Amino acid sequence: METILEIKDLTKRYGDLVAVNNISFSIEKGEIFGLLGPNGAGKTTTVEMIEGLRKPDSGRIKICGIDALAQPAKIKGLIGAQLQSTTIYDQVSIREVIDLFGSYYDNSVPTQELLELVSLTEKKDAYYRTLSGGQKQRVAMALALVNDPAVLFLDEPTTGLDPQARRNVWGIITDLRDSGKTIILTTHYMEEAEKLCKRVGIIDQGNIIALDRPAALIAGTGLDSTIEFSSDDIRAEDVFKDIFDSGTSFERDSNRYIISSKDSSGILKKLTQAADENNIEIENISVRKATLEDVFLKLTGKKLRE
Amino acid sequence: MRGFGSQFLLQMKLFIRQKDELFWNLAFPLFFIVLYGLIYRDIIWDDFGMRAIEYMLPGIIVMAVMVNGIMSSATSFVEERGKGIYRRLSLTPVKRQTIIGAQILHRYIIILIQTIILLAIGILAFDISIKGNYFYFWIILTLGAVCFLSIGFALASIIRSVRSATPLCMIVFFVFLFLGGIFFPNSIMPRFLVVIANGLPSTHMGDALRAVIIDGLGLGSVWIALAAMGAWIVISLAVSIIFFRWE
Repeated sequence: METILEIKDLTKRYGDLVAVNNISFSIEKGEIFGLLGPNGAGKTTTVEMIEGLRKPDSGRIKICGIDALAQPAKIKGLIGAQLQSTTIYDQVSIREVIDLFGSYYDNSVPTQELLELVSLTEKKDAYYRTLSGGQKQRVAMALALVNDPAVLFLDEPTTGLDPQARRNVWGIITDLRDSGKTIILTTHYMEEAEKLCKRVGIIDQGNIIALDRPAALIAGTGLDSTIEFSSDDIRAEDVFKDIFDSGTSFERDSNRYIISSKDSSGILKKLTQAADENNIEIENISVRKATLEDVFLKLTGKKLRE
Repeated sequence: MRGFGSQFLLQMKLFIRQKDELFWNLAFPLFFIVLYGLIYRDIIWDDFGMRAIEYMLPGIIVMAVMVNGIMSSATSFVEERGKGIYRRLSLTPVKRQTIIGAQILHRYIIILIQTIILLAIGILAFDISIKGNYFYFWIILTLGAVCFLSIGFALASIIRSVRSATPLCMIVFFVFLFLGGIFFPNSIMPRFLVVIANGLPSTHMGDALRAVIIDGLGLGSVWIALAAMGAWIVISLAVSIIFFRWE
């Protein structure tokens, strides 16, 4: 595969705080690459350095073989970016703003085509300020695509959106991938990273702590499944102690109990049996396969959205 | 200069669509010229050898230029910067000089339109006789426009937050307005205020316009006023260059 983006030893400090610590990765043509991590992990700082919005303290960035730090003007034509919060002129219609951005480039995609791509054809004459959060996010995507970029950056494209709007955005992202675009996506939603990304870099406190395909990351942790249930009975933790200990990890969050284990069916059987014998009511039982969230928990000891 | 034309058109569209811009830039000065015209139509200020309304027309033109240069341009720049619009634009190949250039041209066109309307009302409705040379008038108007737009950019550079933009610009605007000899001659003010007033760009632009269009004098006789405006431009640009921020 052809490497389209290469990051080497990228570092950014703010005073004593190391926001991005010596990270390296590369991205292949046509893949969706995800940077997954909690807020403040360094995702946005990383992509904004690649986009040229922030200056790294050290490191190298190569996009399509061009040194991004030495030739920032050349890079502007090659990339498209949706920032974490895009605001544009309030009283300008979507069509007008896409036309405007198109006028900045030597070659631009026809506005009509972009409107269709982000399903906003019917809204083309609406003012930006009248749009919903999801629609604004789609406008931001259209603007990022106006120059038909080789690499597209999407910084938390679905943060703050309702589930329906989120699925719409996901649909657009997969369409873009299918049309051959290379996409870098940052997110703190593990579901999003798992669903969309071919490879994911997990980032925490400025470091990439794991990088692989989502399935490989999950397999690598050795966790097969997680059993979750809730119980308001105060005896629960004592009564189930042996069962909890037989799993690979255990966690309690007020009345919610989370056990990870390779043998989910065995644990489940023992759990229901013990609950019956001691007359402890347990509710909302769920068994799920391990996710990137669990991988993150295992690697850092924290939850993604803490 | 790719993107200049489209950026200029966008600014014009935004201007027309924003009711507060239309009000402050067009209706507000218009209201003053009509109001004062009706009140002072037949009053002659013997001490100054001119009709009161003749004194005021150039002053209201200065006020209109100040609304545009200080109020509108500074506050909208701070607002757009606060929203991150310039940050987003910096990802595109459009040059920042192109954006600023388009904004300045847009403001200048609005100033020309305002001035033509005010002059026309003064001449047609209130019989103000223009003795001077329109070319000189245009030179002073353009210098004044550059002067107040520079002051507006200097303010936008110093002001940090969107919330403080409007009140701070208001303060500067009103000081320039009331101490700038717009509605009454500075000579009736107490001595210490006259000293301040004589340093203000509004005083000088008003004096220069009056001398040229009402008294029919040439540019040579207003060189002090022109030099003072030039000094304000230099100082404002220096402040802008030192403190200017895009984000």
